[in-house]
Amino acid sequence: MLKYLGKRIGRSVLTLVIILTIVFCLLRLMPIEGYFPNFEKMTPQQIQVGLQEMGLTDPLPVQIARFFKDLLKGDLGTSRIYRANVPVTEVLSDKVPVSIKLGVLSMIVSLCAGLPMGALMARYKFRFFDKLGTLFIVCIQAIPAAVYYLYIQLYGTQILNVGLLFDIKNPKYWVLPVLSMSLNNIAFYGMWLRRYMVDESNKDYVKLAKAKGVSEGGVMFRHIFRNAFVPLAQYIPTAFLNTVIGSIYIESLYSIPGMGGLLVTVIKKHDNTMVQGIVLLYACVGVLGLLLGDLLMVLLDPRISLGKKEGDR
Amino acid sequence: MSDKNIPDKMLTVEDLEIKFDLRGKTLNAVRGISLDLYKGEILAIVGESGSGKSVFTKSFMGLLDQNGRITGGKVMYYGADDGKPVELTALKKEKEWYKIRGHEVAMIMQDPMTSLNPLKTIGEQIMEAVRLHQKLSRAQAKEKTLKYLEDVGIPHPERRFNQYPHEFSGGMRQRVVIAIAIACAPQILICDEPTTALDVTIQAQILELLKALRHKYKLSIILITHDLGVVANIADRVAVMYAGDIIEIGTSEDIFYDPRHPYTWALLSSLPQVGVKGSDLFSIPGTPPNLFTEIKGDAFAPRNSRALKIDFLETPPYFQVSPTHKAKTWLLDPRAPKVDPPPVVEKIRNGGLI
Amino acid sequence: MMKQFSYRHEKEAELMGSMEAASKNACAMSEEELFSFAEFNAADVERTGYSNYSYWGSTFRAFLKNKAAVALLVLLGLLLLFTFIQPYLPGQYDPNIIVNDANGMQYRNVPPGDMFILGTNSIGQDLWARIWAGTRTSLFIGLSVAVAEALIGITVGVIWGYVRKADFILTEVYNIIDNIPNTIILILVSYILKPGVKTLIFAMCLTGWIQMARFIRNQILIIRDRDYNVASRCLGTPTWRIMVRNLLPYLVSVIMLRMALTIPAAIGNEVFITYIGLGLPVDIPSLGNLINEGRALITSPALRYQLVYPTIILSFVTISFYIIGNAFSDAADPKNHV
Repeated sequence: MLKYLGKRIGRSVLTLVIILTIVFCLLRLMPIEGYFPNFEKMTPQQIQVGLQEMGLTDPLPVQIARFFKDLLKGDLGTSRIYRANVPVTEVLSDKVPVSIKLGVLSMIVSLCAGLPMGALMARYKFRFFDKLGTLFIVCIQAIPAAVYYLYIQLYGTQILNVGLLFDIKNPKYWVLPVLSMSLNNIAFYGMWLRRYMVDESNKDYVKLAKAKGVSEGGVMFRHIFRNAFVPLAQYIPTAFLNTVIGSIYIESLYSIPGMGGLLVTVIKKHDNTMVQGIVLLYACVGVLGLLLGDLLMVLLDPRISLGKKEGDR
Repeated sequence: MSDKNIPDKMLTVEDLEIKFDLRGKTLNAVRGISLDLYKGEILAIVGESGSGKSVFTKSFMGLLDQNGRITGGKVMYYGADDGKPVELTALKKEKEWYKIRGHEVAMIMQDPMTSLNPLKTIGEQIMEAVRLHQKLSRAQAKEKTLKYLEDVGIPHPERRFNQYPHEFSGGMRQRVVIAIAIACAPQILICDEPTTALDVTIQAQILELLKALRHKYKLSIILITHDLGVVANIADRVAVMYAGDIIEIGTSEDIFYDPRHPYTWALLSSLPQVGVKGSDLFSIPGTPPNLFTEIKGDAFAPRNSRALKIDFLETPPYFQVSPTHKAKTWLLDPRAPKVDPPPVVEKIRNGGLI
Repeated sequence: MMKQFSYRHEKEAELMGSMEAASKNACAMSEEELFSFAEFNAADVERTGYSNYSYWGSTFRAFLKNKAAVALLVLLGLLLLFTFIQPYLPGQYDPNIIVNDANGMQYRNVPPGDMFILGTNSIGQDLWARIWAGTRTSLFIGLSVAVAEALIGITVGVIWGYVRKADFILTEVYNIIDNIPNTIILILVSYILKPGVKTLIFAMCLTGWIQMARFIRNQILIIRDRDYNVASRCLGTPTWRIMVRNLLPYLVSVIMLRMALTIPAAIGNEVFITYIGLGLPVDIPSLGNLINEGRALITSPALRYQLVYPTIILSFVTISFYIIGNAFSDAADPKNHV
C-alpha cells in the first residue's frame, strides 16, 4: 500500500518536472516583444541588453536550472506588461481564490445534479427519463461549449435580471457562471454513471444479491451504484480540473477576476512572463488531478492495494 | 387441494411454460414442465446448455430476465413459515418476491469468480444475508457469519471475515457463495452448475460440502448440471431435460441402470467415463432444436437414428415405468417395436460408472 | 454466439418446414406405420451450423435502420455540397468585400432582407457569403484534424500494440502528454506560432493523435490475445488476414466514432481560440470569427442575427457529426449485429 503510494507520488513529481521543462522550453519560442512594455520604441541594442538582464540569452540548460531554483523559492518571475514589475505570484494570489471558489461551487453542483441523473437514467433504462437525459447529454456534448455559454449569458442575464458583467459580492451573479461551468460535467457524470451502472447491473454478483432477497433499492444503491461510482471517482479530479480550464472562457466572458480570465487578458497583451506563469500553473494542476484521482481509487477499490488493477477499465 | 395431504412436498410445478421475446420472435424456453420437489432431497436437473434448466429454476425466484414471462401453468411452494401454500406464479410485484428470495429459495451460481461483489468484504456480504433474513443484532449477526464460514469449510474465519473476494481462490469463493445462500436460511437451495467453473479436485469437495449441508440445514436441493458424472454421486432423483421439457425423471438408479428415453441413452453413451479406449467417443449428432418454432412430436426425434414415424407427429405423453420412474417416449407405448438400450447401459449396470 | 444461434435457427426452421410438409402427406398413416422406424439422414441433422454473415453488409443495414442519422447524413451532405457551389451561384458577394451604396457609404448592420439574405455585419460585409465561407474554413479545419489524427494515431497505435519494445517508451510519452490539459497545449502553441489555419490544425493535432493511438493499442492488446485469434493463429491464418477479418471490424467503430467526434471538437476549439484572441485573422472568415463578431453585439437585440445565424449552422454541423458518428459506431459494432 505505502509502496504503491510512494511510487505513484514519485511518478507524478517526475512527470511534473518533465512537463515543466518541456513547457518552459516551448515558452522560450515566445515572440520577444512580449518581454517589453514599449517594444516598438526600443533600439536593437536596448532589446539585447534587456534580454541579457533577464537571462534569456543564456544557454537553455542554464535557464532551466535557474527556473527550477526560482520555482522552489516560489518565484515565477515578474510581469512586464500587464502590471509592470509586479511578481507574477503576487498578481496570481488575488486571482486564484476566486477561480477555486468558482470551481468548487461548480463541482458541487455537477455532482449533485449529474449523479442522480445518471442513477435515474440507469434505473429507468430506455424509458422516458433516460431518453430525456440522453437528449440533454447529446446537446451538451455536440454543441461546442463556446456557443452555448454565449446563449446562457445572453438569455440568463435577462431572466435573472442581472448585468452582463460580474459582481463578486452579489450571489445572484454567481448563478450563471457556475451553471455554465457545471453543464459539461453534469453530462459527463450522468453519461458515465449510467453506463457503468448498466454494466454493473448485468453482473453476476447483482443477480446473487437479488437472489439473496435484497430489495431493489438496496441492490441499486448498496451494490450497483457503489461499484459503478468507483471507476467514475477516478475521473472526478480530472473533471474538476477541466472545470478550472473551462473557466478560462467563462471568467473572461463574465469578466470574473480569476486566473482564467487573467490568462485571456495577458495573452491579448502579450505578457510573456504572465502567460508562462499561468500555463505552468495549469500544467501542475493537470498532474495533480490525475494523482488525486488515482489516490481516490486506492481508497475506494480494495483490489488496487495489491498492485493489481483488475477493476480498471 | 389434495396436495396439502402430502406434507413432504416442497414445491410442485404443473405444466409450466416460459417464453422469451427476442428480437420480435418468441422463444419457447420451457414447454410445459411438471415436477415435484420433496423435502430434504437432492434433485438433479440434467441437460445440454440451452435446454432451459436455468430459466426453469429462475422462475421459482422471480428472477427471469425482463423479456421473459410465464405463459402457462403454476408453481406452488409449500415450505412457508406459516404453512400456507404460496402460488409463486401468481406473484407479480417485486415486493412480494422479497419474502421468497433468499428466505425460502436461495441460489448458488455457476461462476464464483463473478458472483461476489468485488468491493465488499466477504464478511459484509454474508452478513447482509444474515441480517436480512434473521432478525439479529450486528454482533450476533457477525457471530453467526463466522459460524457459517466455518460450516462451509473456510479456515480462520476471523481473519477471512475482513478479506475481499480477490483474496480467495475459486473453490474458496464458491464456499463463500454457499455460505451466503445458507445464511439466508432457505428451505430450497438451487445450485446452478455449482462446480462447472472449478477444478475437478475442488468439484468433489464442493459436492461433499453440499451433501453435508443438506443434512445439517434440512435443505431441499435442486442441482442443475450438464454433467451426468456429477449427478451420479450426489442426487437422489434425476430429471433429464431436453429442449425445454423434462423427458425422463426417476431416481438415480432408475436413470443410470434403467434409462428409457433415447436422449438419456445418448447422454449416457457420450460420457467419457464409459468410452472404450481406442475408439471414438460417442457424440450426439446435430444440435438441439430451434426453440423459436413450435416443436411437433418428440423434440429429440430429428437427432435420433432410431426414431419412429410417430415421433415426428405427436408429442409422447409420460409413460410410467415404475412408481418413481417415468419417461416421455413412444418407445414405451405397447404398440412400439422393441428397441434395445445401447450397450452402455449394460456396462453401467455391471459397475462401469457408479 | 447469439448471432450464430439465430442463423442456425433460420436454417433449421426451413428444415422443420419441409419435414412438416412430409408429415402432412403421411397423415393417414396406419398405427402400424406410425410405430415403424423413420428414415434417418445423418447429413440432414448436421446441416444446421450455416452462416452467410457479412460484416459490412450488416453494418450498412444496421446504420440504415437509424432513420434520424440517415436523415442527418443526407442533410449534412447537401450542406457540404452547398458550401462548395455557393460562390459560383449568381448574385453572390465576396465574403471579404465591404459593400458600399451609391453614395459610397458602407451598408453597415443591414438587417436580413432582399438585398442581403442574412444582412451585413458592422463593416458592411455580406453575412450570407461570410457564413458559407466560414463554414468551409471550419469544416476544412475539422476534417483535416480528424484525418491527420486518425492517420498518425492508427499508425502509432498499431506499432505501439504490436512492437513490444515501443510499448514502454510510448506509454511514458502518453503518460506525460495525458497529464497536460489539452486546452493549455492548444493555447501555448497558438500563442507561439503565427495565427492561421495551419497553426490551428497543427495545434489541435498535437495532442489528439495520442488518444487515438492509445485506444488502438489497447484494442489490439485485448483482441490480439482473445482465444479465437490465438486459435486462428494456431490454424496458420496469416497475420494480415487476422487483422483484416478479426481486428478491423472491432476497430472501425471506434475509429469512426473518434473521427466523427473530433470534428465538432475541432470546430468548437476554433471558436474558443478565436475568442481568446489567438485565432484566425478576420480576412479568413470562420465560424469562430463570425461568432466572435456576433458576440460583441449581443447587447443590442436588433443585431443579434449576426450571432444567431452562424451558431445555427455551427450547431447543426456539430450535432450532425456527433449523432452520425455514434450511429455508425453502433452499427459497426459486431455486438449489435442481429
